[in-house]
Amino acid sequence: MPPDNGHFLAAAYTVAGCIYLGYTVSLLLRARKAKR
Amino acid sequence: MTADLASARRVMIRGAVLTVLGLLGVGLVMVLALAYTPEEINQGLAQKIFYIHAPSAWAAMLSVVLTGLASMLYLWLHDPRIDRFAASSAEVGSIFCGVVLTTGPIWGKPIWGTWWTWDGRLTLTLFLFFLLLGYHTLRAAIREPFERGRFSAVLGIMGMVLVPFIHLSVYLWRGLHPMPIVLKPSAPSLDPQMLRTLLISFGVMTLLYVGFVTLRYGIQLAHDAREAADAS
Repeated sequence: MPPDNGHFLAAAYTVAGCIYLGYTVSLLLRARKAKR
Repeated sequence: MTADLASARRVMIRGAVLTVLGLLGVGLVMVLALAYTPEEINQGLAQKIFYIHAPSAWAAMLSVVLTGLASMLYLWLHDPRIDRFAASSAEVGSIFCGVVLTTGPIWGKPIWGTWWTWDGRLTLTLFLFFLLLGYHTLRAAIREPFERGRFSAVLGIMGMVLVPFIHLSVYLWRGLHPMPIVLKPSAPSLDPQMLRTLLISFGVMTLLYVGFVTLRYGIQLAHDAREAADAS
């Protein structure tokens, strides 16, 4: 029976998703500012 | 609008498209890991962190190596395009490094019983992250473009020198970090379904790296073009 540790997986995917998504938003905002 | 600004716009649009595709790919990898890839019997669901952690580490090392190579070329050729690429790649590398340094401890807690240990690989990766932060701080502190490029190139090369030590650290110092299971001389030691998901994730992170760097490069190009236009 595998250990019950799915919440660690959820936390890791959430953190990674937030970092990648946050950086994308930051780049897109900077790109919009640079285009003006 | 100057020709440089128009070209920067095109680069930024290309970068944005690649980045969005990369992000969709990350979502796909997460779905594949959850729905398609089997659960590891000893580690449970926490093992699936590996499908994001290891490819992010690959992208971080790729960023740092390309920053180092570009830095060497810049010191030789003094071409501002190369410096722009090195700076973009270093910034993206610190993002990937950040993901590695956060997802790693989240995996370590249920598997090792601790968030952090001063294992060779973990410690060197943390040093690399600090070095990248130093790189950005240095660039922000110097206004003169040639001096900025020259000094930061030295730091970029130092980051690249760390990469082989990080990769070989698990052989050099026996710590808690697992041995490589794909990037090693012998065949990958992984279940075929797990290996497929992992290889897709390596491709996705490489695409995301290209997207991030292209977008970041375009932003810098637009900034430089505007500064040049203001100065003339």
